Amino acid sequence: MSRPTMHTTPGQGGGEQIPPGKPTSMEQHMLDKGAQMMQSLKPIKHMNQHVCTFAMYSHDMTRQIETHHYVTRVNQDFLQCAVYDSDESSARLIGVEYIVSDKIFETLPADEQKLWHSHAYEIKSGLWVNPRVPEMVVKPELENLSKTYGKFWCTWQTDRGDKLPMGPPALMMSPQAVNMGMVRPELVEKRDYKYNISSDALKTSRVEIAEPEWINPQADYWKQHGKGFAIDAETTEMKKIAPFP
Amino acid sequence: MNEDKVCCHVRNESATSPATRQSACKCNHIISYLNNLYKLLRETKIVIHLGKIKDMEGVQVSRHPEIPGDPTQTSTALLEKATATIQGFGPVNKIHQHLCAFHFYGHDMSRQVEAHHFCGHQNEDFRQCLIYDRPDDDGRLIGLEYLVSEELFLTLPDEEKRFWHSHEFEVKSGVLFMPGVPGPVQRQDLEKVCKTYGKVIHFWQVDKGDNLPLGIPQVMMALTRDGQLVDNLAQDVERRYNVSFANERENRTYMKGLEHGIHPMANAAGKGIQTVLREVDCKPAV
Repeated sequence: MSRPTMHTTPGQGGGEQIPPGKPTSMEQHMLDKGAQMMQSLKPIKHMNQHVCTFAMYSHDMTRQIETHHYVTRVNQDFLQCAVYDSDESSARLIGVEYIVSDKIFETLPADEQKLWHSHAYEIKSGLWVNPRVPEMVVKPELENLSKTYGKFWCTWQTDRGDKLPMGPPALMMSPQAVNMGMVRPELVEKRDYKYNISSDALKTSRVEIAEPEWINPQADYWKQHGKGFAIDAETTEMKKIAPFP
Repeated sequence: MNEDKVCCHVRNESATSPATRQSACKCNHIISYLNNLYKLLRETKIVIHLGKIKDMEGVQVSRHPEIPGDPTQTSTALLEKATATIQGFGPVNKIHQHLCAFHFYGHDMSRQVEAHHFCGHQNEDFRQCLIYDRPDDDGRLIGLEYLVSEELFLTLPDEEKRFWHSHEFEVKSGVLFMPGVPGPVQRQDLEKVCKTYGKVIHFWQVDKGDNLPLGIPQVMMALTRDGQLVDNLAQDVERRYNVSFANERENRTYMKGLEHGIHPMANAAGKGIQTVLREVDCKPAV
């Protein structure tokens, strides 16, 4: 089996299987089916929205990806999302995003706020969509969501061709109205074509959604500072209560 | 508003099959019902705060005891009923099993967390799991785990291997189990898990009492020998799930572990891992 490689340029290794591995056996399918019948899988059943949008790496805003969020609403002010790189059953789990209302965001310490991004632009510009749901049904909630902030960690950089999840997690940022926050048109067109929608048309229809009165300047850190954040995983002495490993 | 695109079908799908037409019909019916309900709610300005009440399908919409925030509003819950009904959930529908295990922080074994994994197979050699702090309606999504076969693990560069931990001890000792599944059935799957490696990242330090996912991601490790698992944590899980780790251990003695043994670079290369945050330029140097 070939070594999974880390490319430095974005894009999938054409035609290669990601992740590598043998097709799931019939025996495994039966085991899974059996388990599924006996277990309730409650937290999974609580996912009730699919959102398709875009994000970029905070340490390299030129790398932009289409994301598929499967969202669970915990309460009016907090949502948690499993993020995948497509909406198909073969999609790779690429990370997790948490979404909080502005009310909660304002209670966070400044150092924490730097890791978050705002959602107003990506909603108003029509980049954020609920595939297959008519716009008139989602519109009332978009006004609430446009005032939220998100924190998105990516654990599998499939856009650079990683066949397996490599390295430490990466912090992601959201599309914004200025320079590096602008999503490349070809990415948007590809997404729009697939769902038979027009982000431009949505942008026009979303003009009536009120802009948040204020977006906290600690969010979208790169806009004010031109900086992002990276996570390093350092080797250290583990605090132990028993021998390891 | 453009009504003829009221139901967005994915391009290239044939829209002429009876099943598709029927589902489009049902879709339109639901949408028109919800539209009318929306109009009524907006006109009369009713917003009912949902506490612990049952919604239309008997699923409890409850308020998490600790995460800050207001209870979900009716209008929001209704929208999400619509999205849950109309949208596809392909990647999530692949999640077929619930595994319970324990993780500790890669730099601190004394901080241990009960971890409920909800897993799906990408293929025979690879699983991806969402991790919750509890397996019920109020579960917090605290992290994720990837599981790979030994064969795939050995293809990783050494620098990457240290993020991954072996599962052999967890499975053979009985502490990793599938709640609700009879022993003989779960063992058929766990004997495969026994020969895998996992990479776990947690984003929410619930053991610290954080009521929001603060801070940076944590690389977690898993149990590799007796004496590591904190007793009262183990006993609490045994009691709640009515299982006995000791009994399961006996039932699992037949299981074979890793063919090549535990790789020395796995399990944080025998040391520890700690994540740190570094401020960097937001674009690569030209």
